[in-house]
Amino acid sequence: MAQAGSIVSPDEGNEKQPLGLLLVAIPVLLIVWLVIWPIISAVIDTLWRSDGHGHVGFDASSYVFFFTDTYSLNNLALTLWTTGICAALLLICCLPIALYLRFGRGRITGYVQTLAILPLFVPSIILAYAFIRVLGPNGFYDIVLHGLGLPKLRTPYLTPWGPVIGLVWDNIPLTVLILLSGLGSVKDQAVEAARDVGANRLQVLRHIIMPTISNSILVALSFAVLGIFSAFTLPYLLGPASPEMMGPFMQRTFDDVNDPVAAVTQAVISFAFCILFGLFYVRSVARNQGRQP
Amino acid sequence: MAVLKIENVSKIFQGGTTAVDDLSLEVSDGELVCLLGPSGSGKSTLLRMVGGFERPTQGKIFIDEADITDQWPERRPTAMVFQSHALWSHMNVFKNVAFGLRLRGLPAAEIRQNVEGVLEMVGLAGYGKRMIHQLSGGQQQRVALARSLVLEPKILLLDEPFASLDQHLRERLREEVRDIQQRLKITTLFVTHGQDEALSMADRIVVMRDGRTEQIGRPDAVYRKPLTPFVAGFIGTMNLVEGQVMRGAFTRAGIRVPLPVADGPATLAVRPEALDLIAAEPGQAQVHRITDFGTHGIVDLELSDGTRLKSMATQPNALRPGQGVDLVPRALTVYRESREIYRDVHD
Ligand SMILES: Nc1ncnc2c1ncn2[C@@H]1O[C@H](COP(=O)(O)OP(=O)(O)O)[C@@H](O)[C@H]1O
Ligand SMILES: [Mg+2]
Repeated sequence: MAQAGSIVSPDEGNEKQPLGLLLVAIPVLLIVWLVIWPIISAVIDTLWRSDGHGHVGFDASSYVFFFTDTYSLNNLALTLWTTGICAALLLICCLPIALYLRFGRGRITGYVQTLAILPLFVPSIILAYAFIRVLGPNGFYDIVLHGLGLPKLRTPYLTPWGPVIGLVWDNIPLTVLILLSGLGSVKDQAVEAARDVGANRLQVLRHIIMPTISNSILVALSFAVLGIFSAFTLPYLLGPASPEMMGPFMQRTFDDVNDPVAAVTQAVISFAFCILFGLFYVRSVARNQGRQP
Repeated sequence: MAVLKIENVSKIFQGGTTAVDDLSLEVSDGELVCLLGPSGSGKSTLLRMVGGFERPTQGKIFIDEADITDQWPERRPTAMVFQSHALWSHMNVFKNVAFGLRLRGLPAAEIRQNVEGVLEMVGLAGYGKRMIHQLSGGQQQRVALARSLVLEPKILLLDEPFASLDQHLRERLREEVRDIQQRLKITTLFVTHGQDEALSMADRIVVMRDGRTEQIGRPDAVYRKPLTPFVAGFIGTMNLVEGQVMRGAFTRAGIRVPLPVADGPATLAVRPEALDLIAAEPGQAQVHRITDFGTHGIVDLELSDGTRLKSMATQPNALRPGQGVDLVPRALTVYRESREIYRDVHD
């Protein structure tokens, strides 16, 4: 570490620069090899294809198929719907929790924090089975309702709401932590000053807290959205068979349908959406920073 | 305009710290009262209770006879200037000052007029479009002041508003705030731990210690007639010498001051400017160091047991280090068990 530190120091950096470049080159090469190259090759593989007679040429038919196939489009729509609903629910759940943790006083805050962070340490598989045991058919809920002589409720298991509940739960810790770190930059005195000039709690939230943490909200939502869009385990275990989210869809297309080109096409399209989210995120952050450096 | 009345207020925090202890105080209309005391003496807590940010454990607070003890801060006719960090960095100067007026639903034209007026008053005319981070520390505190003043509060509260500024700027802002306060005749409670600030600004000073008032009085009275050794030591420079009164004279390591008080332990308090020196060999004390400030000099003295004293001399060059001197106090106060038992002011 000490050596790496001296390499980047500007005054004595010149002669040691090759070593510095080498150190940077390793992760860069790894990224190129493991991330950039697969992306490029995926795009190429889906667009330049052999026509069966050994002739290789431009061929967008797999994309045309995806965007004309109702089933594929339904899957994409379900994925977008799930992502949007999850993002909204996460914000609705996590903002109050984070606000409570930041401004709440007393002993309960410690327990709330532990509870909110707990899902971080619970693997998705465990979470999925817990979900099935509690909310699934003949699960805890059903048994309690039955015991009370009440009619069965429709379980969210194997409906689009199954993955939504699981994914929200799964993403609560990270979202809370990011929002909480953003709320750390809201100074107590800034809040008190707002109360002092006549703002009630809601007005403080709207005019003082939200603008201050808008970047953190963006970061939290981007993390959640990117993770949820390409989620696999929870949609696979909790979601409906049809339509399905892009993760399970890809896996099934690849393994069960045995159509690698269609699977890679789905991957490229998912990637394109994630890039769009990414661009939106970068633009918003840049705009916010332009406003308040 | 407004009278602030604090009645037997106490604040005990969770965990048992008694920050303010059964304190009563009345600030009359247009008066500027300084809360002065060492760090941790409960000044901020008292101020925050007046502003509504802490709830008194006991006691009541009135503004113009109206009990505001349980009112939310946003409903109180008070405005507070915080020490720092209290401006909203996502808003520019204009929006910071206008925020309170906007919440009150004033028409835009009126807001603009009021904000520009108050910005001019604090010397920031034309700064409306600046972002907070583009301002110096002093300018930021001017914005904070403007933000409070624009609401025309009945009570203005300031909690060490200049603590993070340098000496020069502090003195200037002190004068400006005092000018504005006197012009607007606004009832003001000002917290500081700097005696200069209190002495130069206040109509009255409340010296606080451990959540209680040690002394309340006009600056000159607090300075000239400190009621306790604590006040004596805290305000201005004071020589405090502990010793014994025996057979009508205070004694300690070679000094002997005749006093008409009963025998027993006593603390002698003499201001440097009230301690004259007469060259004498060997003398009651020895000159240790002389610091010439131009207008006057400070002579550091040492008693035979090592006790240090200070004397202010108009002609310090008449003395030299190592020389012996006799001490002649022109004015002195004697305390016993934290109570004044004798005062001699003859000049
Ligand atoms: N929120 C709080 N919780 C617990 N103790 C506090 C709190 N605020 C202040 N105190 C304690 O109350 C005492 C007075 O503090 P404060 O009013 O800030 O003093 P000052 O402003 O004179 O420095 C101190 O001992 C401080 O530690
Ligand atoms: Mg304080």
